[in-house]
Amino acid sequence: MRKILMVARRDYLATVRTKGFIIGLVLAPVLMSGSLIIMAIFRDRTDPRDRRVAVVDRSGVVAEALVRAAAERNARDTVAAPGRPRQAAYLLEVVRPNDRDPMLQRLLLSDRVRAKELHAFVEVGPHALHPLGDTATTHLAYHSQNAALDETRGWIAGEVNAALRRERLLEAGIDTTRMPDLFASLAGMPLGLYTRDATGRITDAPKRDERAAIFPPMAMMLLMFMMLMWGAMPQLSATMQEKSQRIAEVVLGSVRPVEFMAGKLLGGVAVSLTASAVYVGLGLYALTVLGLSGLMPLAIVGWFLAYMLLAVAMYGALFAALGAACNDPIEAQSVSFLGMLPMIIPTFLLLPVVMQPNGGFATGMSLVPLWTPMLMLMRLATPGGIPAWQPWVALVGMVATTLLFVWAGGRVFRVAILTQGTPPKLKTLLRWAIRG
Amino acid sequence: MNAIDIQHVTKTYGPVVAVDDLSLAVPEGSIYGFIGPNGSGKTTTIRMMLHIIEPDRGEIRILGDVLHSACTDRIGYVPEERGLYRKMKVREVLEYFGGLKRAGSLRKEVNAWLERLDLAAWADKKVEALSKGMSQKVQFIAAVVSRPPLLVLDEPFSGLDPVNADVLREAILALRAEGTTILFSTHDMPVAEGMCDTILMIFRGKKVLDGTLTEIQDRYGTDTVRLRTDGGAGALEGLRGVDRLTDFGQVQELRLDGTRDAQDLVAEILGRTKVTSFEVMRPTLRDIFLRIAGPEAQEASDA
Repeated sequence: MRKILMVARRDYLATVRTKGFIIGLVLAPVLMSGSLIIMAIFRDRTDPRDRRVAVVDRSGVVAEALVRAAAERNARDTVAAPGRPRQAAYLLEVVRPNDRDPMLQRLLLSDRVRAKELHAFVEVGPHALHPLGDTATTHLAYHSQNAALDETRGWIAGEVNAALRRERLLEAGIDTTRMPDLFASLAGMPLGLYTRDATGRITDAPKRDERAAIFPPMAMMLLMFMMLMWGAMPQLSATMQEKSQRIAEVVLGSVRPVEFMAGKLLGGVAVSLTASAVYVGLGLYALTVLGLSGLMPLAIVGWFLAYMLLAVAMYGALFAALGAACNDPIEAQSVSFLGMLPMIIPTFLLLPVVMQPNGGFATGMSLVPLWTPMLMLMRLATPGGIPAWQPWVALVGMVATTLLFVWAGGRVFRVAILTQGTPPKLKTLLRWAIRG
Repeated sequence: MNAIDIQHVTKTYGPVVAVDDLSLAVPEGSIYGFIGPNGSGKTTTIRMMLHIIEPDRGEIRILGDVLHSACTDRIGYVPEERGLYRKMKVREVLEYFGGLKRAGSLRKEVNAWLERLDLAAWADKKVEALSKGMSQKVQFIAAVVSRPPLLVLDEPFSGLDPVNADVLREAILALRAEGTTILFSTHDMPVAEGMCDTILMIFRGKKVLDGTLTEIQDRYGTDTVRLRTDGGAGALEGLRGVDRLTDFGQVQELRLDGTRDAQDLVAEILGRTKVTSFEVMRPTLRDIFLRIAGPEAQEASDA
C-alpha cells in the first residue's frame, strides 16, 4: 500500500503542480460561464438595420393587413426603451403578382435579395385563406439568404395568420373589431406544485423557468466531464510517456504492475477530488450568495462524489491501458478517441434527458454504467427528481463495471507496458485483457 | 550464499524461446558479468530476476529467498535505456525511486551520493536540464540510494566520457568492497574483463560460457599471437596454420588452428618482415565472444 500511495502522490503532484492545471482550474469555469454570460448579453441584441421585405400576395387578402401591422410595429419597436434595445424596422414593399411568369418574378426578387436591395421576399399562395383543400401549393413562402434562422420570418408568419383568421371570421359573419382581444394569446406559466408548510399553511406553487430547469443538469454534466478530463484522460499520455521513456521499466523493478496502475488511478482520483472541491465549494457558495441554494439539492453533491470517484477509476483504467499499449504520441492520439467516445455521448443527450428525465430512454441510458456518471447526475438534478432506487442500482452497476475495467485494464497494462513496437489494435488489446 | 540462484529457467514469447533452460549462480559480494549479443535473452533474464515478468519454468532465488515481490526491494536496477521523469527535480526523482525500495527518509543518502558523483549543484534542477552523462549518473544513484545488497547494471558506462566512466567505476568497485553483489550486463568486453570476477555468456537464450575469466580463457588455451611488424597485415596474409587474422591497424592478432606451433609461425613471419614485438597469449574475451556468436556478436561487440 505504501508503494501505491507513493506512485499516487507523485502522479498527483506531477499534475497539480503544473501551470496548465492551475490555469485550467481557473479558466475552465471562466470560459464556460463566460460563454453563458455572453449568450445572455447578446440574446436580445439584434441587428437594428431596417429590413425591406417584398410581399407578393397571390391571395389578395393579406398584403394590406401586413403593411398596417408593420407600420404599427415600427412605431412601437423601433424606439429604444429601458430594458429593450431599438429593433429593426420592417419596410414592406407590396409587389403585384406576375401570373404569366411567376418563376421569372421569383428569380428577379431573389436577385434583389442577393444584391441586398431586399432583406427577403414573401409569397402568399392563392389559396392561403382556405388551404385545407390544396395540399400541393406552398401557401406561405419566405425567401432570404438565411431563411431558416431569420427571425423576421416568424413575425411575418404570425401577422399573415392573424390577417387570414380575421378574414375567415368576417366570412363567417363575425365582426372582429368588436372583440379586440380575439387573438390575444396566453403563455402557460411554468409553476411547481402546491405544498403544505410546517405551520399547515398551503404555500404558493413556486415559479419555474427554463434556465433554472436546464442549468443544474447541465452544470452537473459539465462538472463530471471536466473531472474526467482532469483525472482520467491524462492517464493516456502519462502512461505512454512512462513507457516510451523507459520509466515504467525502472518503476516496475520496484512495484508490481497492478500496484503501479492502482497508484496512477489513485493519483487521478486525487486530482479530480482537488478540482471538484474547488468547484463544488465555489458553486455552493455562489448559489448561497445569490439566494439560489434551492436550485441544486444538496444530496446531489454526495452522488456526484460517489459517481466521480468510480468514473475516474473506470475511465482512468481504460486510458491507462490504452496508454500502455501506445509507443508514441501519434499512436496515443489515434486511440484517445476510443476512450473519449463513451465520455462524449452523454453530452449530446442533455436535452432529451432533461425534457423527459423519467422517460424510458433517459432511464435506460442512465443505467448504462459508462454513462451513469453524467446522465444519472443530470436526471438527479432535474426538478421533480427520479425514483430513489435508480441512483443506487446505477451505483452498483458502476462499482461492478469499475472493478471489471480496473481488472481488465490491469491485465492489458501489465503486458503492454513492456511490449515495444506493437501497435495498439483492438484485437490485441482484447487478447491481452482476456488472456493477461 | 549466492545472491542470485537461477535454476533451469525458461521463458517463451509465442514461438520464440527467449531464455532456454538457463541456470546461473552469482556469488554474494562478487561482480558478475552478463554478456551476450543483442536479442540473446539478457534483458528477459534480468526482467525475470526483477520479478517484472514471470518465467514459464524454473526457479529463481534472490538472496536466499524464492523470488517474490518484496525481493525486488533489495535489488537496485539501472536499465540500459535511462528512465527518469524529465519534469521532476533531481532530488525528488532520487527520493521517489529510492523510496519505492525503502521506507523512511533518504535525504542523507541522496545528498551523499550527489556529492560523491559531483551532482550536488544539480540537486534542485529538473532532470530535463541534465546532460546525458549526468542523467546516467542520476539513474545510477536512483538504483543505489536505498542501499540494496544486489545491484543489476545494464550497460552503466554507455555514453559516459572517460572521466565520468572512471567516477562510476570507482563507485561500483566501492560498493562491491562494501559487500554489494553486482550483476553487470555489458557489451564492453574490456570492461567486463577488467571488472568482473565471474562472466556468463548467453547466446540464443542458452548459457554458453560461465566462469572466471581465467577459467574461460583456459578452455581456449594459448592459441593467439599478437604482434607488431613493419609489414603490417599485408605481410601476414596466407600463413599456414592461421585460422583468423584480425587487423587492429598498428597491431595484428593471429588465431592458430592448432596444427602449428606459435614459435614456428613467428619464425616464418621473421622471414617475411621485421617483427618489432610479439606475444603468445590466450584469447581475449572479445575474441571468445566473436568465436561463439559470429556475426551476431560482431554486431553487438561493435555497438
